[in-house]
Amino acid sequence: MNQNYTIFTYVVWFIATYYVVLFLVILFSDKKKIMERKKPYRNYSPFVSIIIPAYNEEESIIETIDSLKKLDYPNIEFIIVNDGSKDRTSEIVRAAIAEDKKFILIDNTTNKGKAKSLNEGIAAAKGEFIATIDADSVVEPAVIRKVLPYFSNKVGAVTITVDLKSIKTLLDKIIELEFAIGLSLFMKILSTFNSVFVTPGPFSIYRASVLRKIGGFDPNSITEDLEIAYRIHKAGHKIDNCFNAKVKTQSPPNLKAMYVQRRRWYTGALLTVIQHRNMLFNPKYGFFGFIVPYTFLLIISGLGLFLMTIYLLFSNLISLAQFLQYVNNSTIQRILEVRFDILTISGINIVGIMALFTSISLIVIGLFFTGKSIWKRKMGVFAFPLLFFLYQFYWMRAILAVISGRTTKWR
Amino acid sequence: MEIKKSAFLLALFITISLFLTLLLISDFLGGRREDNLNARFNEVYRDFDDLQQIMLMSDVYGNEMACIAYKNKLSDFDKRIWDLGLKLEQYRTATEEFRQSLYYLEQKKIFNENEFTYLALLKQIKKLCSNNQTIISFFYRNSKDCKKCDDQSFVLSDIKKRFGNDVAIFSYDLDLNITSLELLRKFYSVDEVPCVIIDERKFCGMQSHEFIVNQVCQGNNLLAC
Repeated sequence: MNQNYTIFTYVVWFIATYYVVLFLVILFSDKKKIMERKKPYRNYSPFVSIIIPAYNEEESIIETIDSLKKLDYPNIEFIIVNDGSKDRTSEIVRAAIAEDKKFILIDNTTNKGKAKSLNEGIAAAKGEFIATIDADSVVEPAVIRKVLPYFSNKVGAVTITVDLKSIKTLLDKIIELEFAIGLSLFMKILSTFNSVFVTPGPFSIYRASVLRKIGGFDPNSITEDLEIAYRIHKAGHKIDNCFNAKVKTQSPPNLKAMYVQRRRWYTGALLTVIQHRNMLFNPKYGFFGFIVPYTFLLIISGLGLFLMTIYLLFSNLISLAQFLQYVNNSTIQRILEVRFDILTISGINIVGIMALFTSISLIVIGLFFTGKSIWKRKMGVFAFPLLFFLYQFYWMRAILAVISGRTTKWR
Repeated sequence: MEIKKSAFLLALFITISLFLTLLLISDFLGGRREDNLNARFNEVYRDFDDLQQIMLMSDVYGNEMACIAYKNKLSDFDKRIWDLGLKLEQYRTATEEFRQSLYYLEQKKIFNENEFTYLALLKQIKKLCSNNQTIISFFYRNSKDCKKCDDQSFVLSDIKKRFGNDVAIFSYDLDLNITSLELLRKFYSVDEVPCVIIDERKFCGMQSHEFIVNQVCQGNNLLAC
């Protein structure tokens, strides 16, 4: 066993475990307060604008419009920004909104990108609060009533729980769990120490004055929903989370689509950190300035450990293949000959078992708090660890993209 | 909502406790590994005592009687000492993640010394009882100094699996600097590693599986040949 590898494994385990334990301590030490649902206002209904940027969304935008029409909120307007779609998006939207005066369509003939479309929407918006929703997402009727009470003094934006529209494939089942932990439970916990680092594209709501003060979305960013969160913090505002409001979004249909999505997400995350590096370890930004570099330390060290493991695994396999050249035994026969002895479990193996146990605990806690049954999601739980392998691949790709300067485009 | 500093400290305390638990489990398993090896060593010592008693028996009851006793004893003993060698290596790998353990270094020395004694006994038995068991002595060093030693060791493990008790293999780590092994090395004039002595025939350098099988089968009517 490579001694450096062993020490590195223990270090990464410690960094990761502290991260998870800290989140769980915060969650369980003040569970009631964290999960407290704020009551909707009775006599206060400020004007709200909802912006829906759309690029080639002919298949999903109708569902989004339908869910918006069902919103249980009086003072509202919907601004659909068609970003030069090449399909029938414009035509479908026109037919769907017909004479409904709450809907405004900005029908661009050229594709400008998502951030610019959102900014056009912001410029046209009359609301005191501005929400953004992806054209492939749907919200529950009470969403606006639920989120508004979270806008206390310093709050500049509120995020909500992100879930999937439909769960059909194994990939959907894995992503559902990922969202339950990463985009729901962790966001809620992060909000308790003002460290939410993303206002998810599927649905987020902002104070209009804050959006205008910081200059809207950054058109140069490929992850505008992540980048804007950094600037909201920079401007001295908080981002809160309304755990009991939900947006349902479309999951990538296959691994290839997921790869394209994650390559953009992770490349964007790296570029945003580089762009706002002056926030890192800066006490001015409170815990946010520390949790972001800590998260990246965990990601980078995890990737390093993954690469070292792959290297060791392959060199051992090559050695075994060389050994097998000398004998006539088949590999399968050799594998079958191996007898399990519990005493051959080493410290590294225990670290692996503990990491697996931590992952399962997180899934169980994530599902519990999002009110989902674990028994109906056995396959997802079983397959969830696969996601860690995919993460390494996506992060590696993102790092290479940033180093080579070949970052992706976002329309 | 403000996060109390105590949350960070509590999380640190829990993480350190988990880390210590991890180390304790490792240590516990390490202790169990040592107990297991010690028990196996004790069995081997008892077998040695038995073999020596049988050797004394030959003076009183004659060679024929002693050889029957040897035959019964040898197959068990051979398997036991071979398994002990394998376990010693497996457990050492599981234990020595951070640094070399003196326990395993010591046990390896004792094991090599025992093998040396067993070799001497086996040769005597072979002479006394016309035993046709093939004796292979394997000299090696650590993989840094001898790149082919691991390969040769793998081939010999396979030979042992194939021939079972018809072959007795003794592996000698020359890095351990044991006096008796040094004598044996000089006796066979082993100047390079890996080196195998098959029934007093010396073959240094990497020897193929096929070559060793041919050497073992030469003049022996074995089922595995």
